[in-house]
Amino acid sequence: MSILEVKNLRKVYASRFGGNKVEALRNVSFTVEQGEFVSIMGESGSGKTTLLNILAALDKPTGGTVLLDGQDLKSVKESAVAAFRRDNLGFVFQDFNLLDTFTLEDNIYLPLVLAGRSYQEMRDRLTPMAARLGIDELLKKYPYEVSGGQKQRAAVARAMITNPKLLLADEPTGALDSRSTDELLRLFAQVNRAGQTVLMVTHSVKAASVSGRVLFIKDGEVFHQIYRGGDTDQQLYQKISDALTLLATGGMKK
Amino acid sequence: MKLGFYPRLAADGIRKNKRMYLPYILTCTGMVMMFYIILYLSVSPALTGLKGGDIMREILSLGSWVITVFAAIFLFYTNSFLMRRRRREFGLYNILGMGKGNIARILVWETVWTAVLSIGLGLFAGITFSKLAELGMVNVMRGEVTFDLTVSHLSVIRTAEVFGIIFVLLLLNSIRQVRFASAVSLLRSENVGEKPPRGNLLLGAAGVLLLAAAYALAVSIKNPLAALLWFFVAVLMVIVGTYLVMISGSVLFCRLLQKKKSYYYKASHFVSVSSMVYRMKRNGAGLASICILATMVLVMISSTTCLYFGAEDAITHQYPREMNVSATFTDERDSSAEPVKPLRDAVEAIAASHGAELQNVCGYSYLSVSGAFLSDGEVETDANRLDSFNVSVLGNITTFCFIPLADYNAMTGEDRVLKDGEALLYAYRTSLVGDTLTFKRGLTLHIAGSADKMAASDSAARDVVPTVFLIVPDLYAAMEKLVEGMSEETEQYLVMRWLLQFDTGLDADGQKTLCKELRAKLREGGDHLIHFDGVTVGAIECRELERDQFFGLYGSFFYIGIILSIVFILAAVLIIYYKQISEGYEDEARFDIMMKVGMTRPEIRKSINSQLLTVFFLPLGFAAAHICFAFPIIEKLLRLFGLNNVSLFALTTALSAAVFALFYALVYKATSNAYYAIVSGAREDR
Repeated sequence: MSILEVKNLRKVYASRFGGNKVEALRNVSFTVEQGEFVSIMGESGSGKTTLLNILAALDKPTGGTVLLDGQDLKSVKESAVAAFRRDNLGFVFQDFNLLDTFTLEDNIYLPLVLAGRSYQEMRDRLTPMAARLGIDELLKKYPYEVSGGQKQRAAVARAMITNPKLLLADEPTGALDSRSTDELLRLFAQVNRAGQTVLMVTHSVKAASVSGRVLFIKDGEVFHQIYRGGDTDQQLYQKISDALTLLATGGMKK
Repeated sequence: MKLGFYPRLAADGIRKNKRMYLPYILTCTGMVMMFYIILYLSVSPALTGLKGGDIMREILSLGSWVITVFAAIFLFYTNSFLMRRRRREFGLYNILGMGKGNIARILVWETVWTAVLSIGLGLFAGITFSKLAELGMVNVMRGEVTFDLTVSHLSVIRTAEVFGIIFVLLLLNSIRQVRFASAVSLLRSENVGEKPPRGNLLLGAAGVLLLAAAYALAVSIKNPLAALLWFFVAVLMVIVGTYLVMISGSVLFCRLLQKKKSYYYKASHFVSVSSMVYRMKRNGAGLASICILATMVLVMISSTTCLYFGAEDAITHQYPREMNVSATFTDERDSSAEPVKPLRDAVEAIAASHGAELQNVCGYSYLSVSGAFLSDGEVETDANRLDSFNVSVLGNITTFCFIPLADYNAMTGEDRVLKDGEALLYAYRTSLVGDTLTFKRGLTLHIAGSADKMAASDSAARDVVPTVFLIVPDLYAAMEKLVEGMSEETEQYLVMRWLLQFDTGLDADGQKTLCKELRAKLREGGDHLIHFDGVTVGAIECRELERDQFFGLYGSFFYIGIILSIVFILAAVLIIYYKQISEGYEDEARFDIMMKVGMTRPEIRKSINSQLLTVFFLPLGFAAAHICFAFPIIEKLLRLFGLNNVSLFALTTALSAAVFALFYALVYKATSNAYYAIVSGAREDR
């Protein structure tokens, strides 16, 4: 069954005094199945971030619907939206968004603390996950005491600790060096194999090449998509590159 | 282009950082205004004719120094907040190709703008309000009010000078900061990851100990003299202790809370506790300053209002009767009524010529000696043998006033009889006298009864130490015995005096004229001096004449207390405001993250509230504790000013605390609104 259904999504930004209207998303429809790893690619200004913000319930669409596990995001009340996000979605951001006032451990606990879980339960969840992510030695450190890759792994742990239905990643490798990028991508592939549905926005071909399906967005529409099928990462990398070239020169239609 | 490039850039910088600059300029303006008003008052012609005007002048010029020092420290403090915000901008200029010299020019112009604005506005406000302040002052001192507005050029120039210098110093400091930092460090300076403070156990414990010791000291002191000596020690201890406790102690405390998992990992505590730990060290100093300022304001307001409103009390206490005449015997062997008879007659005659009738008369000879009760209950009268810095000795210093039985009987109309070596006792503010009273190496007296009809004389009320009145059969015999226990040095202070107090039945003006006449006719150096054998006339005082002096002095205290309080409150408010605003800017991103992670708006509100409440009311709570423990020692100090009205002091303290708390709550409200606006602004804009 599909965990995420996006139908005819439209988003129009009006400037402050209602003058110029910019259509960030024109007509976006796609579905994500349970256990899939989907990348969304596109150039800057193509509407990637707008799409992600709407999926994350951080922003409201002008038209169309988003169904998460069958539930329409529009039906979630304004007051409950934060709790909804906390319980159903996990986030990984480009700039980590870890809080300097907390240790990595406390950063990871944050969503659970907000959900009112007991310390015992939080620790039981964290211990195996920290070992898997290779951050069990770093839990007592503060974000500014560890490297970027380590920060991003802690951010992944924070996103995953609530067992979210959907893991949303916004340019997760954007601020990382190539070694950390490789590690993080391996990590994403690994959690995806373990059954986690992942939706990643990126414009790194390398990042997209580890996913199972790549959606290309151009001018506010889903322009093209590539399925991995039986391809290796390298083969997929090549296909994505070719698609991007075409996209840039503007030939191909879906 | 009308204005040059740099002046315009500087003006733009100020305009764009309105939220930071406006309060800063307002503070500078307030300081300038206060400074000008104080200077103006100290040279105000209204003081010239006023009784106690000289005292006021002295106190005001002292106050102007206090404000100068305070303004300098405080403006440096607030300026550092500004600089922290601006550094990023300067870093950017630097990277875009502006040299340090160019940035310095911007800084110069910024300083010029702020200085011109705040000194100009401050002087304008100062001149506007100076008349009001003068009216207030004259009114407080019970003087005549005039209604002409004057400007003191001297004060204007002085004010401009003083604040000009402060601004130049501020500028030099800013330039220094920019000069010694690289462009990159300037750019990043605002988001440098701050090390979490390590709560220093030793310092925290030292702070707690200091506070406890200061509190114990303040509570244990029983004697006003000792209070005077130890008050400043206690104040220093409290200040240092407060800083230590706030800086280290609070971090330790939060750390303990963090250790307690079941408390810490709750939605309502998680965020606030961790950010308090994160900030406490840097904020500790700010919180401690707020606390000290609040305490200072409370102490000043409560004690000066108490003095002012208790002045009438103090006057009647010190001058139980309208008129006071004292004299010294020239020959101690004859201290009977004989030598004073002519003096007394002369007083009565002069009083009669003014239509006054002597009522409620109290007249006696006396000998007063001071000494300290030692641990064995005996009295040491030789000052050289006393350890005068020992609190327990200081606390036991007592004035012993010997009065001949004959005078006592004549005064009270009783008919008491005493044998040699016996005495009647009236103890004022002390209970250390047992059945016998022994003076070291000298006199021993058996207490034969109590002299309850003996009312405390003015000198006893004026004296800060307790007084023991001893009615003895023969004053001269007692004196001879006493001298045996004294060194020659102490002995010279032993003088036998005579005292006459009475009411006149005249109105206030009549009393004043009579007193002046008495002075002119009886006292050495007066016109038409009447000569007496056997006595030398000393002070001639009149309650009505002293009253002006009292209100002059206490009014000055009251007035300066209020002015300084306003300045300190201004400072405290600003510290709080800047703290919250700068934290708001830091927290903006933090709360944004938390909302993305799934924190709901009500949760954010709750956590902000719990932080703000702690930050605001921690210092207030500490200040309240300080005041409670300072109460007994200040109450003793007020006795030095002749004020014994504990309940009045309790009332003024409670009132000032209540008013302050109310004002504080208002500031809290305003500040927290500004904070919400900043923190929630980021999300609401979307």
